[in-house]
Amino acid sequence: MIDTSRGGPLAGIRVLELTKVWAGPYAGKLLAHLGAEVIKVESMTNLDEMRAYGGVDIDAAPYFLSINQEIRSVQVNMKTPEGLALVKRMVAEADIVIDNIRPGAMERSGLDYASLCRIKPDIIQVSIKMWGTDGPLGYQTGYAPCFAALSGLTALVGHEGETPKGMNIRYGDSSAGAAAALAAVAALHHREATGEGQFIDLSAVETMTSLVGDSLFAYSLTGHVPEADGNFHPEMCPHGAYPCAGTEWLSIAVATDGEWQALTRILAPQLGEEERFATLASRLAHRHALDEVLGRHTRRHAAAPLAERLRQSGVPAFRCQSSLDLCSDEYLWGRGGYRMVSDHRTGSRPIIGPAWRMQPDEAKVERGAPLLGEDNAYVYRDILGLTQPEIDDLVARKVID
Amino acid sequence: MTEPRGALTGLLIIETAERPAGEQTGRLLAELGAEVIKVERPGGAPTRRMGPFRDGHSAVFEFFNMGKKSVVIDLADSSGRARLAALLARAHALIDDHDEQWAAAHGLAPEEVAASHPHLVHCAITPFGQGAPADWQKSRPLNVIAAGGWAYHSPSETPPEKPPLKGAGRFLPDYESAIDAALCVLASLHRQRHGKGGQFIDLSEVEVQVNRIDCVLDRMLAGEAEPGPERTAYDMGGPGTSFACADGHVYVFMTTKAHWLGLRALMGDPAWSHDFRDDWLEFDCTRDNVARFRAGFADWIARQPKHAITEAAQKAGIAMVPVNTAADLPQHGQFIHRGFFQSLDHPKFGPLAYPTSSYTFSKTPIRVPAAAPKLGAHDPEMAHD
Repeated sequence: MIDTSRGGPLAGIRVLELTKVWAGPYAGKLLAHLGAEVIKVESMTNLDEMRAYGGVDIDAAPYFLSINQEIRSVQVNMKTPEGLALVKRMVAEADIVIDNIRPGAMERSGLDYASLCRIKPDIIQVSIKMWGTDGPLGYQTGYAPCFAALSGLTALVGHEGETPKGMNIRYGDSSAGAAAALAAVAALHHREATGEGQFIDLSAVETMTSLVGDSLFAYSLTGHVPEADGNFHPEMCPHGAYPCAGTEWLSIAVATDGEWQALTRILAPQLGEEERFATLASRLAHRHALDEVLGRHTRRHAAAPLAERLRQSGVPAFRCQSSLDLCSDEYLWGRGGYRMVSDHRTGSRPIIGPAWRMQPDEAKVERGAPLLGEDNAYVYRDILGLTQPEIDDLVARKVID
Repeated sequence: MTEPRGALTGLLIIETAERPAGEQTGRLLAELGAEVIKVERPGGAPTRRMGPFRDGHSAVFEFFNMGKKSVVIDLADSSGRARLAALLARAHALIDDHDEQWAAAHGLAPEEVAASHPHLVHCAITPFGQGAPADWQKSRPLNVIAAGGWAYHSPSETPPEKPPLKGAGRFLPDYESAIDAALCVLASLHRQRHGKGGQFIDLSEVEVQVNRIDCVLDRMLAGEAEPGPERTAYDMGGPGTSFACADGHVYVFMTTKAHWLGLRALMGDPAWSHDFRDDWLEFDCTRDNVARFRAGFADWIARQPKHAITEAAQKAGIAMVPVNTAADLPQHGQFIHRGFFQSLDHPKFGPLAYPTSSYTFSKTPIRVPAAAPKLGAHDPEMAHD
């Protein structure tokens, strides 16, 4: 039996997660938010660090609560042969296994793809590693900002003429998790069509690379190596972020001369008369001067009302939102971009909801992240068919820990 | 020889999308084996006119549309909409990325599509999701990454007077949205296989941006960390950043005593490095120490070659890596081993390196089936349907 009561397009699919930190759990989260039953294998002896960061209570750690909604937690000590045998019994009941543990660890535990296939011939395994599971650098482990640097992405992000600093240091893990979720569901289609499972080997570095594919292809096509170019856009000008009152910035992207004229009417009519800014080509030729003069005008305005006036005149513009702007964003609250889920300590907790709505049959997302072992009874009794005395014995001997 | 089976072989996707967000969604499905038919307006998709160009061929169009078929249909007239309806009748999914007003004016309103094609999975990708103010939906990728917060916080440690950035390339938010859109479409198609009919998927590009920072931003939403106007609100601290070296750039990340001692030895134990206690990263990682470290390190690394020094660093257990460029990757051993770039004969330019995606499938390899189509290349074959 699988719990399908939340509905959603992946209702009836069971995912077993052997994941830690961010990328792997994020993949599990997206599948759970689509209705899959996702069971996270955890243990006190090998705890997800996210249960420890930012707090002392492993059942109320902020980072962990922020990712793992609608995930079920089962405790198993995989360092014991009995624990490992129980995990293999769980594999036999799963459709998809996702892991992001260090290279070689799955193999050493007898959880490599060949072994999983002997347990469940049509299993789908998705493994997330820095470089994938093999190849000349497959042994390496590392950190997301290093992945971004290696990937080609960092080289493209920076202020013009400066050392490319890349995206914010937090960028990358969640994207790798999203790509893993996509690959897992693609493999479900092949299984439906042919009965065959398969092994998916995901490289976190290449996930970053895959986010700049057109830039890489442009190099292949033209031989020109793209560089970090601030906010330069070859076909839009002005195109960038402009200072507003206080600490605010406003993004403005102007593609046509009509949009440019509308912008000048609102911000500084005299600019509309200037020959050097009259066409896209001339604006591009004088873009640094243009940015400078525009900034002197935008600085006098608060970002949100100016953005609104610009948009209503047909000029794409939006405030560059800070964490404070985002947290108080009424539109996101109103649309379910943020929503409340259950929380064991305080009753309810806001989360960042999925980026999609579906009609009909959207999966319910109501339950917050699990307590460690919250679903032990469900997994051991209802799925694996153990009796209560058997479960008690496993707890007593710390196989369930 | 029969073609190797892809994970999505047998699925037919119609793409009325005209922006990179929707086109990348279709591309992701095409390389996984789906048949993707791109519906282009007379004169061709707007992306055909986005540079850079080589002999009139757009790199943007050629990348986002590899492996697809092209038919020309004018959705502004009723005979065009009838032709689209015939395609949708035998398709599994429709991918669109126009705003609600455009969709309604061209026969693509969700209710209308669902009424005529109840079996169909219909995904509409828009900047802010269905129901947003009409002027918000005209947002361009720069506005989307600004609205979603990543621009304001990128790069890390940006001083207050420097502008927020658009991200890598011009389309970073489009790529991210495409992952979620393709994921939702495939999940919904799984449901369709089980006889439960179609669904309408309303994907918000800004919400994808916001979701990607869940474990940092949600702590602020929940009151466990303080949100604020600081550009550094997502940062982690520590000395990690990029540096200029002799022939490019490197990135260093350090958090432990072992990292520091390893790097100190690699630098040849310079005198300035002894001003730091061995465990400064763990217990004395002040802003001043970070600045002093960076000054000393920048001076040394400026004279080192990118690839040789990072290789030596890796062997010493230091997380120092090259900042690779587009020119480095096609000749990188690991990328070659995994087949990330696939060579394909472009009809005009001969073999070119096409970037693919980050996953390999053991039974259904990712495959770029063909270069991007000529405008209307598949009109004749569709005429026989």
